[in-house]
Amino acid sequence: MTAPSVTLPVAERRSALALPPWAVLGVLFGVLSAASIALFGPIGVSGTYPRLIGAVARRVTPEFAATNPYLVKMGSLVTPETMLVLGLLIGGFLASRVWRGGSGGARPLEAVHARETTPARRYVDAFVGGFLILFGARLAGGCTSGHIISGMTQLAVSSTIFAAAVFAGGMGVAHLMKAWRATS
Amino acid sequence: MKLFYGLLVGIAMGALIQRVGASNPRMILASLRLRDLTIIKFMATTIAVASVLVYLLQLGMPMHFDVKPTYVIGVALGGLIFGAGFAIGGYCPGTCVVGIAEGRRDGWVALLGGVVGALVFTLVYRLIEAPLIKPLTLGKITWADVLHAPALGVALVMATLLLAAVRFLPTRREEAAP
Repeated sequence: MTAPSVTLPVAERRSALALPPWAVLGVLFGVLSAASIALFGPIGVSGTYPRLIGAVARRVTPEFAATNPYLVKMGSLVTPETMLVLGLLIGGFLASRVWRGGSGGARPLEAVHARETTPARRYVDAFVGGFLILFGARLAGGCTSGHIISGMTQLAVSSTIFAAAVFAGGMGVAHLMKAWRATS
Repeated sequence: MKLFYGLLVGIAMGALIQRVGASNPRMILASLRLRDLTIIKFMATTIAVASVLVYLLQLGMPMHFDVKPTYVIGVALGGLIFGAGFAIGGYCPGTCVVGIAEGRRDGWVALLGGVVGALVFTLVYRLIEAPLIKPLTLGKITWADVLHAPALGVALVMATLLLAAVRFLPTRREEAAP
């Protein structure tokens, strides 16, 4: 794994307004999130995963796709949300190439927890994490974007419960796992 | 046209997530360990700005609101499971896609884990709907409904509280001595 050196992309630089960069980016994301609700609907990501499964299932096992109540409920893959997820790929790619200066681009693989001493162990954590976030998000009806950002923006009670549970569970589990930079 | 708007919003969102560092799993863990609150403060700023803005815009134009229903058990349990996965992998469903875009190999693995997680949820949906999703269903309620207050007022109060926390909590904490 890579040597422990912290790369914090934006924390060091300051903008002209003397606001830290994350605050400027937060204001921009706020305007974007509001514009999304004005144009087509709240931003969201996690619903695209079951819609993708539904689109594949309709080709491969049409009978299962037509009778599974959840796939029927989630509907077609042709939605603004799917396009949004495609946009994430394009925007993330462009941003990482255009503003590469200073802190540099992302590393292909970095340990996050002390136990990730080999690439395989990092991949296990990434897989288990990915599994749990999607299972949890589909159970709750949304993820960080759909529930926490869009939901809190719309003052939704459900999203407040979700956000509190995410940070309680996340901080609890993070506390139990040793950080990658800890020696031994 | 809405599909095109979705693509544009996604491109801008992907760039913002990449720039703030939220697609870096180490930044997520730094937030959850309360060592570096950059990502949490970024999200709080986003919510404060967006909330006031949408209810101001609503005064002059129709808005595509979509409030998620409140079913207490499923939402709370889903949040806890999500939080655990967030801490183990350091990704959320969108940031792993941005991570892939900027060249992170573990982003692909998190995405694959996510597809399997969504597939398993699809397969067990029939079993968990009755115990976890149907009970304690309160509908698509907002705090404005609960408090019988105008939404713009509630949004202003929430934004003030969030921005006060953002302003006064320290962003970074030096590593505590063991």
